[in-house]
Amino acid sequence: MTFRRLARLVARNVSRSKKNFLMSAIGIIVGISTFVFFIGLSEGIKDVVLGQIFLVDQVEVVQKKFDTGFMQMGGGRTLNAAAADDLAKLSGVEAVYPKMKFTFPTRGYGGKKLFGKMIHAEIIADGIEPALVEGELKDPSKFGDLRVDRACSADNKCPDGMLCVENAQTAKSACQRQTCEYNKDTWLSDCPGKSYCAPDTMLCEMPIPAVVSYHLLEWYNGSLATALSSARNKMPKLSKGMVEGFQLNLDLGKSFLGRSKKGKRLVRRVELVGFSDKAISVGITLPISYVRDLNRHFSGAEAAATYHSIILKVEDQVQVPSIVAEVKKAGFELADSTENAERAADIIKTVQSVFALVSGIIVGIAAINISQMFFMLIARRRREIGVLRAVGASRNNVRLMILGEAAFIGFIGGLLGIAAGIGAASLADYVANQLPDFPYKPDTFFAFPPWLWLAALGGSVFFCLFGAFFPANAAARQDPAAALTH
Amino acid sequence: MIRLQSITKRYAGAANGELALRSVDLEIAEGELVAIIGTSGSGKTTLLNIIGGLDRDFSGTCTVDGQDVGKMSDRALSDFRNKQIGFIFQHFSLLDHMTALENVTLPAMFTRGEAPIADPKARGIELLGKMGIGEKTASHPNSLSGGQKQRVAIARALLYAPKLLLCDEPTGALDSVTGAQIIETFQRLNKEGYTVVIITHETRVSDAADRVIRIEDGRIVNDGRGGADSNPADDSAPEGSA
Repeated sequence: MTFRRLARLVARNVSRSKKNFLMSAIGIIVGISTFVFFIGLSEGIKDVVLGQIFLVDQVEVVQKKFDTGFMQMGGGRTLNAAAADDLAKLSGVEAVYPKMKFTFPTRGYGGKKLFGKMIHAEIIADGIEPALVEGELKDPSKFGDLRVDRACSADNKCPDGMLCVENAQTAKSACQRQTCEYNKDTWLSDCPGKSYCAPDTMLCEMPIPAVVSYHLLEWYNGSLATALSSARNKMPKLSKGMVEGFQLNLDLGKSFLGRSKKGKRLVRRVELVGFSDKAISVGITLPISYVRDLNRHFSGAEAAATYHSIILKVEDQVQVPSIVAEVKKAGFELADSTENAERAADIIKTVQSVFALVSGIIVGIAAINISQMFFMLIARRRREIGVLRAVGASRNNVRLMILGEAAFIGFIGGLLGIAAGIGAASLADYVANQLPDFPYKPDTFFAFPPWLWLAALGGSVFFCLFGAFFPANAAARQDPAAALTH
Repeated sequence: MIRLQSITKRYAGAANGELALRSVDLEIAEGELVAIIGTSGSGKTTLLNIIGGLDRDFSGTCTVDGQDVGKMSDRALSDFRNKQIGFIFQHFSLLDHMTALENVTLPAMFTRGEAPIADPKARGIELLGKMGIGEKTASHPNSLSGGQKQRVAIARALLYAPKLLLCDEPTGALDSVTGAQIIETFQRLNKEGYTVVIITHETRVSDAADRVIRIEDGRIVNDGRGGADSNPADDSAPEGSA
């Protein structure tokens, strides 16, 4: 029997038993919509948790610590340039990006324009290679070391506060910082544009570019803005666009908690140039060259050569477990963020499995219902099947006809189940959007990858075929002579 | 055309020794119009099912048009039924959800390989016209009279112009006038060259046959010319009374 003839026969049979098939399809629709809803929900949550909170496409390596029971002591292999080279050689590692934290106290102040009042805060900062955040910034050139002498042809080709100066010996021109003067009370100086006059060097400096984490913005909007607001002064909710370009003055070497024992206190300005999920969760992240120089200034040469962690960018997420094993073998350990990412991924996988199991049970029960319905239909159509056999239908034709009807129910039930699942997801999103904002609140809680549609439709058809398998065989084995006298 | 040798049939669950057919030998030549008569339960429908390849659970040899029905695969036998045999049943056995024309062309749905006719739909319309119900092509069986339904069933049996027509009580559900018309139809088809085997317990049918075979308790007890050899007493024996 050709597919076209089979399809015609199936369509005729289904159209005359609409009620029976619809009742049987309800179980499938409920099961598939549950599957689509919950897997879509867990995929959506996974996107937020593993895409924004705990990243799983990178491994963060830290120095091994020993827990004495009272305190943790460093003692493992030092994270330095040699360690970074070794880690870069591990199989599956695409690139290594060292991170270095401030090893001295710092406080920051500013933000009157943005917050309506001056904010003073203890500052935590670290430094990363600009290449690590290249793909995340609108203008990656903004996040780099602006102090580096760069070739130029005229003053306007240099950053603010720099002049294009020709070297008399080489006859080559390069951007150099210009000298300046400033008013200690107003901080007003003769430095042009964004540049300001650094009090310790009396040279015009461009603000140090900084990136911050999305977590910080979420945390501020979700909790801090409300906590710091008063009846008179309400803290504004911030968007990414509002924060970009924000400048903050840093008091380096001095904070509310103490001051640095080494190095003279410095004052610098930072400017927020973008957001990155590689930035420190609570604090600011600068190009590593600035941090290295400041650590050298305040803590010495060793501090300037020691990294606090090294991020390994992996070629494929699948390789993470083997890389983690190699890292531990090499005498390092994983940062809490990586451990948490692994734990979060495991929890999400478990939750997804439970959701899939629940949906599978519902669809499985529906398959049993479909099986019973087909046994009933076959008993009712016994004589008809006998007639079909008499006019030339083979056993296989009868089997295919029943299975075709089941596949049809599965396909239609699957489509309706998907539609119902999406509808339920839209409703859930609508209800969630009425709730007050909270950290990491996404635009939608659901994500529907293409494989989900295939799994839903394929699963629906499979379970219906499974349910109809035994009735179809029973119908095919039916004795035509006995069926005709039925 | 048909040759049965030592055909014995026992139904599963039947009492010990109780056979539906007992070593039946029979030959039917091509072009014959044969009536098989007998009381209900005598084995005549069983015999028809074996000849038509609907019942394969028997001992002995059944050859139809040179093919051993008992040795054919399900697929080959289905193909054989599809192209070589036309069945007509007492209760018409039409599919109610299909129109008259769709019922007539139903065998074409299951045809494997090359079909004996190029356009089943045109052939179906032609056959319904020949049966005198050309205007009923789009009608569903439940809107047709008994006689019209049986004509649709005959048209379905003739779709591929098979050599053999097997009819099981074809007039059993019809009034006498309509029944007579159906009998005339079979006589006409026989004259056109079809071999027709009719199971019946009605004298009017056996009277129309060239040859009448009487079965009793699974054995052929009489095989002779139509009319003279048939037993009118069977007319009074309703189905299921034996």
